[in-house]
Amino acid sequence: MTHDLTYMLMTNANFSLVDSFKLTPLLTIVILMLGAFSLPLIKTKKGIYVVSLLLGSIAFLLNVANTVYVAMHGPYLFDIGHFPAPFGIVFKIGEIESVVSLFFTFVMLMISWYSYHSLEKEIKDHRVGLFQTLTTLLLASILGIVYTYDVFNGFVFLEVSTLAACGLIVIKDKEANIKATIKYLILSSLGSGLVLMGIAFLYSVSGHLNMLYIKEALSQNMTGNENLILLSLILFTIGLGLKGAMYPLHIWLPDAHSSAPSPSSAILSAVVIKAPVIFLIKLYYLVFGFDVVSHTFILDLLLIFGSLGMIIGSLMAKAQTELKRMIAYSSVAQMGYIFFGIGLGNKLGLVMAIYHVIAHSVTKSSLFLAAGSFIEQTGNKTIKDFKGIGKEMPITLGIFTLSALSLVGIPVLPGFISKWNLAMASIETGKIYLLAVILASSMLNAVYYFPIIINGYFGEENLDGKIYRSKSKPIKALLSLIILSVVMVGVGFMSGVLIDFIEKGIYL
Amino acid sequence: MPNLLNNYMQAASVILFGIGFMVLLLNNNMIKKIIGMNIMDTSIFLLFISIGFIDGKEAPIIVDAKVSGLGYVNPIPVGLMLTGIVVAVSVTAFMLALTIKLYETYGTIELDEIQMIKGGKYDT
Repeated sequence: MTHDLTYMLMTNANFSLVDSFKLTPLLTIVILMLGAFSLPLIKTKKGIYVVSLLLGSIAFLLNVANTVYVAMHGPYLFDIGHFPAPFGIVFKIGEIESVVSLFFTFVMLMISWYSYHSLEKEIKDHRVGLFQTLTTLLLASILGIVYTYDVFNGFVFLEVSTLAACGLIVIKDKEANIKATIKYLILSSLGSGLVLMGIAFLYSVSGHLNMLYIKEALSQNMTGNENLILLSLILFTIGLGLKGAMYPLHIWLPDAHSSAPSPSSAILSAVVIKAPVIFLIKLYYLVFGFDVVSHTFILDLLLIFGSLGMIIGSLMAKAQTELKRMIAYSSVAQMGYIFFGIGLGNKLGLVMAIYHVIAHSVTKSSLFLAAGSFIEQTGNKTIKDFKGIGKEMPITLGIFTLSALSLVGIPVLPGFISKWNLAMASIETGKIYLLAVILASSMLNAVYYFPIIINGYFGEENLDGKIYRSKSKPIKALLSLIILSVVMVGVGFMSGVLIDFIEKGIYL
Repeated sequence: MPNLLNNYMQAASVILFGIGFMVLLLNNNMIKKIIGMNIMDTSIFLLFISIGFIDGKEAPIIVDAKVSGLGYVNPIPVGLMLTGIVVAVSVTAFMLALTIKLYETYGTIELDEIQMIKGGKYDT
């Protein structure tokens, strides 16, 4: 790192201190990767948390600095190891990359903080260090996927994130976890096989791995290779759709998300399934380009799968009896919104897809953590056992309510902003009938979230015999959750600024 | 048909990919699933390396600063596949570890039999 810095100082005459901000993405990943492997060496629980929260905070602060730099100076490319572009790996940091990674690091930091007060109730004591190693490693690989401008580099980071995520599920060591992890790992390795095959076809046409160079080579070698390009496009869509829980390929998700410890579920739902989608968007618009993608049926396919996910995911959620399983199916529905936004194929749709990535990651993580603390404090899992929980745990249910309202689409909250703008985007494309899908999905969301909230707070027979705040967690255990929900409301309030910022860096 | 014969490497690797994919997806035995995954990955390595290979060219190793007049085989696919092999090996190792765990818990590695068993040794 110091070598990098001195190299820049010596070779670049116009070097200024401001330019050193370009090192922050690489620095974040390097610090997290190195830090991750030092965590298992620490023996005390407190030490592990101090180091991991420190790492998380450093990553977060570096990302804040990076976002500010991008906001002031615009997007930039960073050559890793100072090899020029076609040979070396390049990071591309634009508005989208910086803001998405900022929120991912923030969510991970909050989940890590929350797990200090709850994790050892779900997993064995000696595994806490391993858990923090895995989350730190996961964050590093996720940031790598978000930043990368090189398809093969993206694939490697994707594999690291998959293995780390599998570790986060199986860390609980119950039979359901082993089964869920095997299901996830098998489908995930199918997905990564397809992605690697797609890269092979792409390389055979273009002879490059850098996204920019592939795009140039593709536009020159278009004639005669249309089928090969279409094939690799389909391989990428299915492979990353498997990892990103696109509707008919989501079958691994409910088992994995419901059986994992609550902080893991929050991480899986908030961050892990989002990264493949970001990679998919990058592949569509930075590698193939809008002209190629819009001339194929891929976007229509995404639109159909997204719509199906929005409806059927919600219907499946309604049918569940376990709380965490219900929230997991709700994630399938919410991923449907993101694929729907990409599938619309216009600028607003894509902007909203990326906005929804951020909105859903803050909302669903607080929802999962709130649900986790219900389960932890009461020992129950099924929805009908949580009647009257509002009297016993008023603050936690309040946070749950706020997040649920956001997913249902109550104005000002982030879920509403993305639904409203997705509706606008579908009107823009002239597909008015899609409004019915958005509306139906919102209704269904209300149908399965409201009974929990209503039975939790109201009803004479529900509250009978419950003691006010008897099961409440201490406020310091809930602080991270409260901050998370405040930021969630902030994402809704500041949606104008955020959407403008994303729009500036949009690939279209 | 002549196209297929000229590109026999690519054709073979796609066929192998199909075999591996189906074994991974449809077989119930965990070990066979892992073998299927390895066949699938190996077929991709074959495809990648066959793209970069040119018949009659030398390996890209420069000896005594003399550049060969024949030209070299593209080294990048080989380098990439080295990384790919590392990834495949680590996924395989993880899957095998999980298979051991599965056997300890359920006493079998046939996934269809496991579906039948309601509660294992460590019932949740």
